Amino acid sequence: MDFEAGPRGLPAEPAPAPMPVKMVIAGGFGVGKTTAVAAVSDVPPLTTEAAITEVAAGVDDVSMTPNKTTTTVAMDFGSVMLDPTLKLYLFGTPGQDRFGFMWDDVTEGALGALVVVDSRRLEDCFPAVDYFERRTMPFAVAVNRFADTVPHPLDAVREALDVESAVPVIEFDARDSISVRDSLIIVLELALARAMAAA
Amino acid sequence: MNRDTGERQPAGKGTQPGVVRPFLLTEGRVVAPGVELPMETQVVATTEGLRQLGALAFERRAIVEACGTPQSLAELAVRLGLHLNVVRVLAGDLRAGRFLSVHEPRTAINTDVDVLRRVINGLRAIPTAAGRA
Repeated sequence: MDFEAGPRGLPAEPAPAPMPVKMVIAGGFGVGKTTAVAAVSDVPPLTTEAAITEVAAGVDDVSMTPNKTTTTVAMDFGSVMLDPTLKLYLFGTPGQDRFGFMWDDVTEGALGALVVVDSRRLEDCFPAVDYFERRTMPFAVAVNRFADTVPHPLDAVREALDVESAVPVIEFDARDSISVRDSLIIVLELALARAMAAA
Repeated sequence: MNRDTGERQPAGKGTQPGVVRPFLLTEGRVVAPGVELPMETQVVATTEGLRQLGALAFERRAIVEACGTPQSLAELAVRLGLHLNVVRVLAGDLRAGRFLSVHEPRTAINTDVDVLRRVINGLRAIPTAAGRA
């Protein structure tokens, strides 16, 4: 598609901005969030250090607290240009519970979330599952196939997590772009079904 | 709140960003919770902004220069080595000064059936995209 509007030779017009949409990839530390982002992103995942403590605390003038150390939290994200006017961002959210406020910042307006799980450390994903259930955001639990094997059957994982029956519990491989893509589509189909039911 | 449109130099230490405390660049301002621009918000320089680059200095200039290509606030923060919330504040200033146009995601986009279908179809097309393994 050609977006160049003006005649050649004139100063370049900035290109039109695509419509941004986003999805969240959540889960505990080291479960494969960044790997999953990297698997489908057009560009290598970027890491941003978001400084958010002051904002989250509702302080509106940090210059008044000169000795306060800014807390930073690393967040990886990538993007997929789905078509020239639509860009999907994938944000990997820090899994720690105390960064809950960060999640609000990331998840506001998100189409849905994939909660990545290492079934050997199931409890690491509890904060994420609780969070998305509370937010009533469409999400699926994706058990990462570490070393080509899932050590626990999905039924056992579902039972341990005690998620609603409507929440898909699936197996995936965070290194495999097709597997990650299909997992994201499962979340999106859930979101679509909900949106259609509400319409 | 100071509606600085970017004409002034931020704190006069822009040559050594590493020693400048992040919110010195925003004169201590942070964005109020709940009204900040989402991090995927697209920012792009206006034609006027690119023409008037000389009126800007340091981070504000760098932001407009980088936004010749549309990008998200999150990408911009990484590219310029600035905190996301600093970029949010400065982008707001630059929008007020008409140097930048800011495209926030549509409200309720996450329940928009057409958008959801487009994203699903776009993702399904991924394997045929050039260069993907």
